[in-house]
Amino acid sequence: MLATDSVLLHETDPVPLRDTDPAPLPKPLSEPKRRFEQLVLPHFDAAYNLARWLTRNDHDAQDVVQEAVLRAFRFFDGLRGEARPWLLSIVRNTFITWLQNNRPADTVGFEDGFVELIPSDEDGPDVLAARNFDRKMLNEAIAALPLQFREALILRELEDLSYKDIARITDVPIGTVMSRLARARRLLAESLGATPNISGTQVHK
Amino acid sequence: MTREEANRLLQPYIDGELDPAKTLELEAHLAENPSLRAACERLREMSAAIRDKADYYAAPAWLEARVRAAIPSGPANGSARPAWWRWLSPAGSFAVAADWLRPAASFAAVALVTWVVALGTMRPGEDDRITQEVLASHVRATLASRFYDVASSDQHTVKPWLSARLPFSPPVADLSASGFELVGGRLDYIGAQPVAVLVYKRRAHLIDVFVWPVEAQKTGQKLAHDGFNIERFARSGMSFWLVSDLNRVELDDFARLLAAAT
Repeated sequence: MLATDSVLLHETDPVPLRDTDPAPLPKPLSEPKRRFEQLVLPHFDAAYNLARWLTRNDHDAQDVVQEAVLRAFRFFDGLRGEARPWLLSIVRNTFITWLQNNRPADTVGFEDGFVELIPSDEDGPDVLAARNFDRKMLNEAIAALPLQFREALILRELEDLSYKDIARITDVPIGTVMSRLARARRLLAESLGATPNISGTQVHK
Repeated sequence: MTREEANRLLQPYIDGELDPAKTLELEAHLAENPSLRAACERLREMSAAIRDKADYYAAPAWLEARVRAAIPSGPANGSARPAWWRWLSPAGSFAVAADWLRPAASFAAVALVTWVVALGTMRPGEDDRITQEVLASHVRATLASRFYDVASSDQHTVKPWLSARLPFSPPVADLSASGFELVGGRLDYIGAQPVAVLVYKRRAHLIDVFVWPVEAQKTGQKLAHDGFNIERFARSGMSFWLVSDLNRVELDDFARLLAAAT
């Protein structure tokens, strides 16, 4: 049994992972690589899923993930706390760099601050219950969401991350995460013909 | 609570990010307001539909193999400090997050457990069952005042006692210097296997630490359940589950100390 399985506590963990490990074992692989494979690579699918939803095609997702995972390994010493949100933050950063280099037009408005007011209609028409959404239509509607709403929604619903983790990964305050999620769900509902009555408040980025 | 505020809280409510006090307040509103209830239901359905129907793209196997091969075998070069360096700071700017964002509502936690299990990489349902089992064991021990089979504050007494009765040898840490006194150990049966339970004491609060060997890497996780705090992590090839009525902050401290000492 390996003696260096990691501890994965939350991000306030002040215990440096590497310093608390017991004596090294025989090394079939180099120690950092082996530890990286144990800790980070189990989240390879999560990294790919996020990259795929951000880039919206397989080829670009493959490039982004490859670059992100190699970057993650270079900065592996910096990992504290949970590996999955940490890796996803690197995927997201890699994607933004990729976007600036390859699709500069798409970045307009993305990182800019914005103020939005989400209307609070009390009893909008309940046109279509969400459970009846067609799978294909739902996927297309999510893919069509503006980037900042799409990424918040994917991290929340498909990666099941907390608002706090999403805030760190997308580099915005928690309040912004909340308003983006509300907006994402509302836009989705509108484009699918339902009205979820999500209300919000005025939010500043 | 105004209707507008209730509307605003629906989203953190269904996301399990509302604290218990606000949750109770909101649930009172939900009980007497059908249109609010309908709005909440639509939100839940939306969330469930996405989780159920949105594509989760798995990476092609060749891509992972290619990336694995591209990772250098030499030492990682960790000297540079990228933008995500702030992940390291012990208490980031998010330490000031509003109280009501703390996901401690037991109702919400149950939903969260369900989602975590549904999305987890482990066998679905297993974590949920283990959560119930460790909680039940903790409550049973408290009800029957049978906290341990071996009473000792000496780790060198508790560890051999447990090792002699189990197919593995659980790590037993002495954390008395940090104010967590070892009071004993007992055996239990969790997840279809015999496990070690180390019992620590903090003031009048008992902390049960369930330990058993684990093969796969698991993510650290914290849950609140029926007023008990539950925390788990994997370390040294063992799975650790902590159950206590101790507050979250001190249980976190304890988990860190324990992880560092084992």
